[in-house]
Amino acid sequence: MGVDFHHDELWRDHVVTEYLYHRLNPDLVQAFEAHYLECQDCYEEIRATELLIRGLGEPILQRRRVNDVTVLRFVESSQLLAASLELTELTKAIRLQNDTKVLIDMSNVSRIDSTGLGVLMNCYCHAVKNSGALKLLHPDSSVKKVLNVTRIDSLLQSFEDESAAIRSFEASQS
Amino acid sequence: MQFSDEEIEQLRPRVRFKVCYEVGFLCPDVDDIVQETLTRFFAAYRDDKVRNTDAPGAFLNGICRNVILEYRRRAFRDEPMPEVVPEPPGKHLPEADLLELQDAIAAGMEQLSARDRRILRAYYLEEKSKEEILKVTGMTDENFRVVLCRAKERFRNIYLDQTKHRRV
Repeated sequence: MGVDFHHDELWRDHVVTEYLYHRLNPDLVQAFEAHYLECQDCYEEIRATELLIRGLGEPILQRRRVNDVTVLRFVESSQLLAASLELTELTKAIRLQNDTKVLIDMSNVSRIDSTGLGVLMNCYCHAVKNSGALKLLHPDSSVKKVLNVTRIDSLLQSFEDESAAIRSFEASQS
Repeated sequence: MQFSDEEIEQLRPRVRFKVCYEVGFLCPDVDDIVQETLTRFFAAYRDDKVRNTDAPGAFLNGICRNVILEYRRRAFRDEPMPEVVPEPPGKHLPEADLLELQDAIAAGMEQLSARDRRILRAYYLEEKSKEEILKVTGMTDENFRVVLCRAKERFRNIYLDQTKHRRV
């Protein structure tokens, strides 16, 4: 055996992660199992990593239906920036689910850049093309400013009150 | 050499995790396999069959593998082996414990800053390399280690806290 699993924390972390994903080569699996069976620290490291990965895997976008409107909310503080996971999730949530009446709760969104705006507009076009609408709820001041400077606020309506926002979907339908 | 009760209690969950890793967390016979492994291991120890008593992990691992193989042969004698699919932790827990574990995990996630969460997601879920993350975020290697260690420490405490009153 003779493998030292404590010489580098990052390497051990890599071994633990690969082990949990069942991707470690068989020799290293054997050495690592023999090691953690007698090393409480490494065993706790495995369990901690397992819980951490599970926590990270929880959806970051919460979805609920109010009448026929889909309300999407970022469950944690988010930034809609290029290559961010939040944007990928948002696109998936709107385009893949075929939701056309969508209200995005922006209360946890602290920043947005041009890619974020592009994705919002893309989702807006998708909704409008399918006879729906996309609106925003509780955008914070910095997001509002960006929407205003780019004049996107003339297309994307923003609301501070959820029930008013929901009612506006019904009004625009009639 | 004799094992103390405390050592046995520390050993049991580790063996249990190894068995679950091999046969799946939902296997109904996990505890039987663990018990058989430990019984054989302690018997071998008593009879001085363990050569390297300072590092008995390899020996214990070998016994555990044999017990699992025997179990599989018995259980799947006439059927092909199903593929082992990794299961999320906690699936085997009762619902109330599972909810409490989820709350603890959610609380742990909330303690992480948005930046840390992004970095950890990129590292663990999107499988970006450390170098890629350092390049994008402009962090130093040391900062990256700190983020990782801090997160691990929190979740280690969650795990230890959960194990105080139940089997996670």
